Amino acid sequence: MTHTMKTLLAGFFLVLLLPASGLAGTPKEALQNSVDQVIILLRDPAYRNETTRPEMRTRLIETIKGIFDATELSRRALAANWNKFSAQQQQRFTDAFLTLLQNTYLDRIESYSDEQVHYLDEKLLAENRAEVSTMVSGKGKEIPITYRMCNDGGWKVYDVVIEGVSLVQNYRNQFAQILMNQPPDALIDMLVKKS
Amino acid sequence: MTLHLLYRMLAVCLLIPALTLAAGCNGKKSKAARDFAPQAAQPAEAAPAQAQNAASRPDQAAAGDAAQAEALADDDLDAPPPPSVYDPLQGWNRFWFTFNDYFYAGLRPLVIGYKTVVPEFARTGLKNVYDNFTFPIRFLNALLQLDMTKAAREFGRFLINSTFGVGGLVDLAKSDPNLQPGDEDFGQTLGYYGMGEGFYIVWPLLGPSTARDSVGMVGDIAANPLTWLFGLWNFYGEDNYWYLSYVISGGNRFNRLPEYLDNYEAMKKSAIEPYVSMRDFYIQYRQGRIEQ
Repeated sequence: MTHTMKTLLAGFFLVLLLPASGLAGTPKEALQNSVDQVIILLRDPAYRNETTRPEMRTRLIETIKGIFDATELSRRALAANWNKFSAQQQQRFTDAFLTLLQNTYLDRIESYSDEQVHYLDEKLLAENRAEVSTMVSGKGKEIPITYRMCNDGGWKVYDVVIEGVSLVQNYRNQFAQILMNQPPDALIDMLVKKS
Repeated sequence: MTLHLLYRMLAVCLLIPALTLAAGCNGKKSKAARDFAPQAAQPAEAAPAQAQNAASRPDQAAAGDAAQAEALADDDLDAPPPPSVYDPLQGWNRFWFTFNDYFYAGLRPLVIGYKTVVPEFARTGLKNVYDNFTFPIRFLNALLQLDMTKAAREFGRFLINSTFGVGGLVDLAKSDPNLQPGDEDFGQTLGYYGMGEGFYIVWPLLGPSTARDSVGMVGDIAANPLTWLFGLWNFYGEDNYWYLSYVISGGNRFNRLPEYLDNYEAMKKSAIEPYVSMRDFYIQYRQGRIEQ
């Protein structure tokens, strides 16, 4: 009796915890959990028509924010330049960068049409960093996508590598080029204007 | 006619010892040699970049991984700006990047028209036929990279798709997980033998490339059956169909444009420095291909 109660309670708490934080034991589980939530949203017939689209987008953003570590992503994209930003600039940069990423990638995510996500393997890079490789297949094409994740109170994504191209490194090169002869504020303005 | 053929055979035969020579000079997959260009300029940040590359390779021992991961842990905050690509021709490159950009913009209506008139399955069929026909390029390069698995895979794909796949129209072989399409080319072969990418270069119409991949492109043309069949120019006033080489390979490029333009536009939309973003995409993608 107590055993069943315990399991029930544990299950109840798990259900409470999962959607909120994307927390799960392993990086793969954390990722899978969030990706599943995104796919459920995308497949939901309630969001098929135009009027409910904005609502879906808000919920998508919520889910994606839960699994991405925006600060780590920004820190890594700026690399050494991160320290040249004031705390306030860092915050503004992080917000602007995330908005840009959302605007550019959400369109692509929303064009989802029954692609399958296969989770290949999970590799620990360090005690609190890991790499989860996946293969997205659909429309006769297979695209390898690797997620780099770090554990800071739950596994979160800080880099996405699509077909061997790291998102963070791609932006790092662009930001470095701009910051070579322009101040941080100019870069933030460019990001805001772009998104 | 015989002279003509002989000349072409000679050109291809010369290429192979040249490649072997390149191999002899550098040894197998010498990391230092492969990355010589960008790292010579900035040795300090070469280490994290390498660690990152190495960490993403599956054949590393677990212990090595951990050590490299350690090095990576703080790479971003302490390291100087990232290793930039060796790009001494930036003036030329930026000019042709902009030119190509306008060119794509001009082609766009045509491409959209093509996409509406020719359905996806037909476009995929055309692509399959072309890829099947150019199988010798990938086969030869798999052999040159001493990768018998890939060579056998290409050969098997060619046999199956040429026969049951109706001359390559249908990629039947793809349904077998061991017969997935490959994309070996001479640029990758040169990289396999330790040749660095050299400098980055943007070609008019053809787009981004590097010194190494441009040399590779010449090799690919030499190994392309189209070149053997039709030649590349009118030789001794002969009555040949040299222009078909260009028409067919150009047609193949156009056929692939709808997908390419989609990706190109997504890149432009996401980038705040499209030139740098494109350059990085190209370099990272090619490095990934060579490592495989």
